[in-house]
Amino acid sequence: MEENIKLRVSQIEKSFPGVKALDKIDFAVKKGSVHVLCGENGAGKSTLMKIINGIYQPDSGQIYIDEKPVKINSPIQARNLGISMIFQELNYIPEMTVEENIFLGNLPVNRFGKVNWKEVRQRTKELLKTENLPYSPTTLLKDLTVSDIQMLEITKAISYKSDIIIMDEPTSAITLKEAEKLFVKIGELKARGVSIIYISHKLDEIFRIADEITVLRDGTVVESHSREELDIETVISLMVGRKLTNTYPKEQIEIGEDLLQVENLNCANVYHDISFHARKGEIVGFAGLVGAGRTEVMRSLFGLDPRDSGTIRVRGKEVNIKNVGQSIENGMVMLSEDRRRYGIVPMRSVEENTTLSHLKKVFYGFRHHRKVEQSIVSDIFKKLKVKTPALDTVIASLSGGNQQKVVLAKWMIRDPDILILDEPTRGIDVGAKFEIYKLMTDLAREGKVIIMVSSELPELIGMCDRIYVMAKGTITGEIAREDFSQELIMKYATGTLTSNGVK
Amino acid sequence: MKRTLLGVFSMLLVLVLLAGCGSTANNANPATSSTTTSSDQSGSAGGQKTFKVAYIARAQSDSFAAWLANAVKDEAKKYPNIKLDVFDGQANDDKENSMIENAITSKYDLIIVQPNNGEAQRPYVEKIVKAGIFAITTNARISGIEGASSVDAKPYEQAAVNARAALTQIPKNAKVVVLNGPSGNFHADERRRSWQAEFFDKRPDVKIVGEQIANWNKDEAMKYMEDWVQANDKIDAVISMNDNMAAGALEVVKDNPKYKDMLVYGVDGTAEACLLIKEGRMTSTCLQNAFELAEKLLDTSNKLLTGQAKQIDIDIGNPLITKDNVDQYIDLLKKAGAIQ
Amino acid sequence: MDLRNNFWSTARKKYSIYMVLVTLFIVCSFVNENFLSVNNLTNISRQLAVTTILAFGETMLIICGMLDLSAGSVLALSGVFAVYTYKMYGSLLAAVLVGILTGVVCNLINVVMISTFKAPPFIATLAMMTMARGVALLFTKGQNILQLGNFVVLGQGSIGIIPIPVVFLIVVAIFTWYILKHTRFGRSLYAVGGNEEASIASGINVHKVKYMAFIINGVLVGLAGVLFMSRVNAGLPNGAINYEFTALTAAIIGGTSFSGGIGTAGGTLAGAFIVGFLDNIMNLTNIDSYVQQIIRGAIIALAVIYDIHSKNRRTKSMLGRIDDRAVEKKPN
Repeated sequence: MEENIKLRVSQIEKSFPGVKALDKIDFAVKKGSVHVLCGENGAGKSTLMKIINGIYQPDSGQIYIDEKPVKINSPIQARNLGISMIFQELNYIPEMTVEENIFLGNLPVNRFGKVNWKEVRQRTKELLKTENLPYSPTTLLKDLTVSDIQMLEITKAISYKSDIIIMDEPTSAITLKEAEKLFVKIGELKARGVSIIYISHKLDEIFRIADEITVLRDGTVVESHSREELDIETVISLMVGRKLTNTYPKEQIEIGEDLLQVENLNCANVYHDISFHARKGEIVGFAGLVGAGRTEVMRSLFGLDPRDSGTIRVRGKEVNIKNVGQSIENGMVMLSEDRRRYGIVPMRSVEENTTLSHLKKVFYGFRHHRKVEQSIVSDIFKKLKVKTPALDTVIASLSGGNQQKVVLAKWMIRDPDILILDEPTRGIDVGAKFEIYKLMTDLAREGKVIIMVSSELPELIGMCDRIYVMAKGTITGEIAREDFSQELIMKYATGTLTSNGVK
Repeated sequence: MKRTLLGVFSMLLVLVLLAGCGSTANNANPATSSTTTSSDQSGSAGGQKTFKVAYIARAQSDSFAAWLANAVKDEAKKYPNIKLDVFDGQANDDKENSMIENAITSKYDLIIVQPNNGEAQRPYVEKIVKAGIFAITTNARISGIEGASSVDAKPYEQAAVNARAALTQIPKNAKVVVLNGPSGNFHADERRRSWQAEFFDKRPDVKIVGEQIANWNKDEAMKYMEDWVQANDKIDAVISMNDNMAAGALEVVKDNPKYKDMLVYGVDGTAEACLLIKEGRMTSTCLQNAFELAEKLLDTSNKLLTGQAKQIDIDIGNPLITKDNVDQYIDLLKKAGAIQ
Repeated sequence: MDLRNNFWSTARKKYSIYMVLVTLFIVCSFVNENFLSVNNLTNISRQLAVTTILAFGETMLIICGMLDLSAGSVLALSGVFAVYTYKMYGSLLAAVLVGILTGVVCNLINVVMISTFKAPPFIATLAMMTMARGVALLFTKGQNILQLGNFVVLGQGSIGIIPIPVVFLIVVAIFTWYILKHTRFGRSLYAVGGNEEASIASGINVHKVKYMAFIINGVLVGLAGVLFMSRVNAGLPNGAINYEFTALTAAIIGGTSFSGGIGTAGGTLAGAFIVGFLDNIMNLTNIDSYVQQIIRGAIIALAVIYDIHSKNRRTKSMLGRIDDRAVEKKPN
């Protein structure tokens, strides 16, 4: 049994200024198995993986490969030891071809430094063939999907003869079908004796592919078990350190009068005839397939993109929203689906990111009120349970879940009446998800309107009072809570059913 | 909203362009394009045969070159048989060379080249001659081209007249500072070479306590001078390769009685230098007379074009301007409008 | 968890530029006995005044993710117009106003191209650089304007022992610090430079921010133009060539990041003085012109490398997320 261990880390410790990221970590990966690492954002998974991949050096502790102690100083060294990492956010050059990408940094050259492109082409073709990938060596990366590039990365790892492959949330940006392909690939790799360390939040997929599961929390290993000994509920409670009684903290709230009414919103070639309404204390969901136009409608409503026609009424009064400023004036805010693009100013502090939506609150009387800003931000961070070492910490250095909470905090300080949340839980861990659901419930109780756009049907069904379904740029159905079912939503979303009640 | 703005903006741009062209026509001022100048002069020639002459300036942004270009333009008005177009080499060998090529293609009858860097333009001037077009090189001349004429002042001489006077004026064991033009510039290098041969080699007792490249600029010269004044308790003389830089050095010490008797040498004979010499603050400069150059250039052009000569090489004088003779030059500059 | 700042680590990061400045100052004092004299120090400040005023304008623009290559040319144009106004009407106030107005008009054209028509700042201001210089040369026919009379008082006069340009420098420095630290506009500059799209989505009027930034830059450039011409006692249409680069250098050495979103007034001031001290000590010790250029270049390279290095440390510092620079493929 013991000789089966491929990789072992022992008593690994790592600190960053102000934070102990890893505390005496022990865990072992068996040969030819899938070892899933889970934990909330900030639990230390990424740091641990970066240590194994040679990006960080541990403060203390030891790594063993095949039970022999090794020191890994750089990713190149890691690669030579047979370790490859597939990152969550794939970094690649769009203008590069498939073959260039596979041999990047490893091009076969002759003694004069001339690249042997013939050999590159040959070997790429062989690799693509054995891995059963349908593209040509000269395809540009920009013409591939995220999932294709992921496959390519795995192929690359295979070309290095890696027998330990680390995958950091590989399914966060790909479709279900693509994920299936990935799981098949993982099965193949396992059969070849490759050990896989798999980091994920998605508990259902964890239980599909894992042989063993290790749960991290706050930089320590909570427990490590084989899959058979665990179930989803246990894993969740191990991750958050408490038993979650309910995945969706939905409360029955008395629903008031109409707060937001949207009539006949149109934008040529993007969406058409959009009419909906939302009442006080109501959580309204927007379901639909990718490309149905949900995000576009919300962006127009919020004043980010122009629209051709339509009226918007807030509290029964018609409002003219042409830019974000006017939208905020009317108490309507929006959390964007793409946090890095529309949510954060990466190199500025969490404090500045938070007050960005409400500068008047901290700049008045011809000066900046630092104390006021600190107390506003501290208060809202406490309420939203944002974890940050300091208020002047650069936001880019926080975990995704915490960044998302900061963006939420930014809007919460405006005390909005209408919140549009576009994929609010994308790419964040179970604990943070639950906190966001909880916040939604709290806000609804305060009589606010929440519009939730999501591609995850379970959370829509779990949280919403009413769901609008969109397909091909228009609303195809409206479903009340008592009629919620995944099948019905999918029928509307695929356009096989169109309700007459909805115009 | 944006479309209206775009409209307003483009109209503004057009207005600016028109204004630019308009003033070109009015005071016959330099502009890279010469279309307007040619159109309003073409009619005036009458029955007489008119000759097309191209004047390719080193740079319109160099104050002497600009003065010369203006003088050449004014002078050209005196010759009804000559139609002059001015081009701006923009202080760039590459641009100037391509302008010469263009002028050859456009079949000018005569091309005057004020080289940015003599050796760089040499093959192109040779091309002019080969194309059967008259060529004149000026300020500075490119010598030794068979069939090409030249009108010039000699940069070596311009500095040398100052240096020779300085031999007796600068006291024994003096401390001096030197302000140079841009490195690699023909005039800058020649003038500096001249000071070396005519002065420094003959006066080993004189010590250079500071020497920097101030790129012909008054502001840069000021900065260096300010630092030198701090570093040295005494500076006996400023040797500057042009008047702008000399004026800059003087600007720094103008209210300082310690430097009242400091000797300052320049070259060019700019209006500012003449006024400073008149005030007794600057010692001497050598006039590079743009009017005289222009006069000779047009005269030479006329002679070549009308067949009176095949090749002419002449020099203008290198008069040293000192307190004794400055008044006559101030009169000259007043006439030209450079001094009110 | 303590949400207040960790004083020492922040201090080290924040104040390293000032430590460099102080160290350089001490070293210079030992290298040459003339360095540490009141005269020399006022000299340095006077020499630096014009380019540093430009540097403050550039700092605000770079923070906002833009830059101004036309500063030197517009400075010359403003200065020439101001000088001309003074010669025509004899009013110093009118001259200053005309200078500032010219700067503002040119920069308004810049920002119309950049913000309204989405031209890249590099190209738009490059175009303005050529245009403004052309207008200045056309207006003066390439000749220097002389005999300025009392106009020189702005550039050469002093209040007590403090030269007037230095007074302006101090005022502009405080103004810039105040803008960046204490105004909504200042905070918006950082946000827009850091992530323009996120700023729009946070309700910031990005157009307005950009217009304001260029208008302020215009005022500063115009003012610098007046001071420059007054200092050199002439209207030089060819003056201040490449001053924009000197100004950019000061900003970069002062820690302003070219990727936008980062920079301070104090840093830029320190950056300008670091360059100023170095230039001065090299002249005092009569170091060869060519060697000076090499040293100046090396300093810029060092500053940029330091900037990138420290930025990497910052993004790595917490819980490990290295992610910038990546060309992100949007999850469909």
